[in-house]
Amino acid sequence: MKISYKEIIQALFALFLIILICVLINNISINLTRTGIGFSFNWLFRPASFALAEHPLPYSPSDSYAWALFMGWLNSLKVIIYSLLLATVIGVFIGLSRIGKNELLRVVSAGYITIIRQTPLLLQLMFWYFVAFLSLKETVLKPIGNLLSISNQGINFLGITLSAEFSSLLLGLSVFTSAYIAEVVRGGINSVDKGQWESFRSLGLNDFTGLYTIIIPQALPAILPGLTSQYLNLAKNSTLAIAVGYSDIYAINDTIINQTGRPIEGFIILLLSFLFLNLFISNGMEIINTMITSSKNN
Amino acid sequence: MILKKIKQRAFSNILDSITTLIIISFIIISLTTILKWIFFSANWSVVKINLPLFFFGSFPKDQLWRPGLWMSLIAILSFATLLAPRWKWVPKFLPILWISFAPLGIFLLGGGLGLSPVESRNWGGLTLTILLTSFSAILSLPLGIVLALGRQSELPVIRKASSLYIDTMRSVPLIAVLFFGQLLIPLFLPIGLEINRVYRAIIAFTLFVSAYLAEDIRGGLQSVPKTQREAGEVLGLHPLQITCLIILPQALRVALPSLTNQAVGLLQNTSLMAILGLVELLGIGRSILANPEFIGRYIEVYVWLAALYWVVCTLMALIARHLEKQMALEKRG
Amino acid sequence: MLPIVKATNLTKSYAKGIRALDNISISVDPGEVLVVMGPSGSGKSTLIRTFNGLETFDSGQLNVLGIPLGSNHNEERKIRRIRKRVGMVFQQFNLFPHLSILENITLAPIKVQKKKRDEAEHEALVLLTQMGIESHAQKYPSQLSGGEQQRVAIARALALKPELLLFDEPTSALDPERVNEVLDAMRRLAEQGMSMVVVTHEVNFAKEVGDKVLFMDSGKVIETSTPDIFFLDAKHQRSRKFLNQIKKK
Ligand SMILES: Nc1ncnc2c1ncn2[C@@H]1O[C@H](COP(=O)(O)OP(=O)(O)O)[C@@H](O)[C@H]1O
Ligand SMILES: [Mg+2]
Repeated sequence: MKISYKEIIQALFALFLIILICVLINNISINLTRTGIGFSFNWLFRPASFALAEHPLPYSPSDSYAWALFMGWLNSLKVIIYSLLLATVIGVFIGLSRIGKNELLRVVSAGYITIIRQTPLLLQLMFWYFVAFLSLKETVLKPIGNLLSISNQGINFLGITLSAEFSSLLLGLSVFTSAYIAEVVRGGINSVDKGQWESFRSLGLNDFTGLYTIIIPQALPAILPGLTSQYLNLAKNSTLAIAVGYSDIYAINDTIINQTGRPIEGFIILLLSFLFLNLFISNGMEIINTMITSSKNN
Repeated sequence: MILKKIKQRAFSNILDSITTLIIISFIIISLTTILKWIFFSANWSVVKINLPLFFFGSFPKDQLWRPGLWMSLIAILSFATLLAPRWKWVPKFLPILWISFAPLGIFLLGGGLGLSPVESRNWGGLTLTILLTSFSAILSLPLGIVLALGRQSELPVIRKASSLYIDTMRSVPLIAVLFFGQLLIPLFLPIGLEINRVYRAIIAFTLFVSAYLAEDIRGGLQSVPKTQREAGEVLGLHPLQITCLIILPQALRVALPSLTNQAVGLLQNTSLMAILGLVELLGIGRSILANPEFIGRYIEVYVWLAALYWVVCTLMALIARHLEKQMALEKRG
Repeated sequence: MLPIVKATNLTKSYAKGIRALDNISISVDPGEVLVVMGPSGSGKSTLIRTFNGLETFDSGQLNVLGIPLGSNHNEERKIRRIRKRVGMVFQQFNLFPHLSILENITLAPIKVQKKKRDEAEHEALVLLTQMGIESHAQKYPSQLSGGEQQRVAIARALALKPELLLFDEPTSALDPERVNEVLDAMRRLAEQGMSMVVVTHEVNFAKEVGDKVLFMDSGKVIETSTPDIFFLDAKHQRSRKFLNQIKKK
């Protein structure tokens, strides 16, 4: 049989990859044996011996590293889900304001978007944490009586308490992501034929009803993919939790690597955790997608 | 006439009028609060005293002209790009100047060839932010192109390898890539070979950003009709020539808006190095705040940093918009 | 003299069962203009695209400019050698939108034939003058009308000094009032003795310029005649039906 040059190229490329990986692994194992650490996951079941400020399930320092990591994963999931909802609400509002009839509202929301998008998320998070919460010191804000109180201890809303760390992460992520969601929403609505607006107006529907019954259903197919990718970005960005001291999966992983000196195992764990988080979000969005398309067909 | 226009745009019905009034009062209240704070309550001495730090980090005092020169060059280059169409001869040199800009920065900051060496831990501030951004950007563009082409390749091994790389990189958070870059790159290197934290960060940024660029470029590649390749084949061009001379230039033009968004994102993301031990713009802000002399001056420092980032990012976006327009004009003439 | 294209029993199917080319044998002599006609989907494009290797075939023999091509060939070098000597013009022009008219034309001479830029540009300007569009040299394709773009495409194909030109419905995408400027350019080429294979439905062009008319249907050659016979007294029922249809339009 004749071997084509394409097969030769592929074989050479595969060989190159294999050699590269072997060299890297070789270097790593030399370095690891030199430092006397080696590679194993047995430590996962030893006691973590650090405390966690927030843990959705019972946890104490005598619990295992694995359990601590799981708490971190749940903490991540929690802040992602809350932020995702809040970001969507703000984002849709800003996005609609951006295309609305009120000129002033359009200008204000454009200003909001440029300020949020042209400054780093990490800076915004620090601002929320150090300026918005920690500098409140002892002063407690009660804008609507006892229902809502804000202090350097965090937010207390209808008896639910959110720590300052969680609250600043939640607000920072939501506000940041909302500016991007606003653009997704605007793009989606603009993708709907302008004639649709004229036709529902000619039927005597007002803009609100028309928007919800005519425009948004048509814009959704264009909006959902953009929304999904913003949600995935939000999940990845939630790892900046470490900057405000919230114990998410990345922060706990970081602590554990510092304690055990095992960056490679830590990297693998983080990779797997994110695999699950991403699957969680994309499957969720897939379900929403099918729900919407099937309800449309009915 | 004007009144009618205002009425139409802001007071078309009751709800609209109420919204407008609420927004106006909101704007007035927040503007007065902010202006009052900026001019009366805020204590800007923390910014004024540390201005050199914010721009150049703790670069040796007698060598400050080096980062200064570099930063001036980028300002000149930016304006030259914006004004380029007025001077006919400039456009030809611009790409070369932009590409040589990052290596020049390394030379000016790091020293060598007659300049006294300055250790990377003394690099900092806006200079380091721009160094990280420009160096990672010029390295990740070619890597991104190669990955995008690899993902489109008809050779399955290359296609699968590229896809695996792109998808994995895009599913992990940047901070993890940067953190493990700092930790793992030394482990992957042979004993005796060491590279400093700045270069490690640049490598990590490049590996990360190129995966995102690859997807944007792939979008561009898909937008070029297949018949363009045929037209090239018919002329007897080599497949590689077709890709480089016909397909890629068109794909990159289509991808340009998203590529520049990535560049702006990259500049913002260099701030993550602040929690990984570099004193770039945000990092220097944090270390100034850690100084007992300026303790508690959070708002001033953060507002100043936000303004600085905003200006730089907006400038980048402006230049990009300008380039896009130029290219559209080139096509129309 | 050796024919420029000689095809013997060419057969090709894209999907099982349907033959895009069914046992086709033809030859094109030097200086000859072969007009290919037939209803849409009859395999005209597929046929002429096998001549420069844009399409493969399943069985039969094909010889272009003395270079034999095998069935299902994987012979990239050979095909590139053929393409350097065979020009092609497409229905949709397929100019490179990011290059100026001059760059469109000089690309292949500079990159394939390794000509000097000055020389290539000089020759390109001569070609553009022949096509009557030298004033557009510095413009970009999107600034030109369809007829002008197609003439640029012809100039681009001519820049490599081909020994054979293939045209796949070169005027079908043009506004009716723009058709003649392209046909005139092709007519002049034929007068200069260029060998051409032209897929077209332009009856007058075929009558005046064509040496032979090849009529295809469902991948088969129905008849090959001189234009005089084909347009006045076609041998086959199917050819006559087709001619009636295009006359109605
Ligand atoms: N790339 C392709 N894949 C599958 N079928 C094709 C392809 N190109 C052409 N065909 C089929 O081959 C037949 C001949 O097509 P074509 O040569 O384009 O006809 P013509 O140019 O005469 O209109 C048609 O039935 C068409 O559907
Ligand atoms: Mg055809």
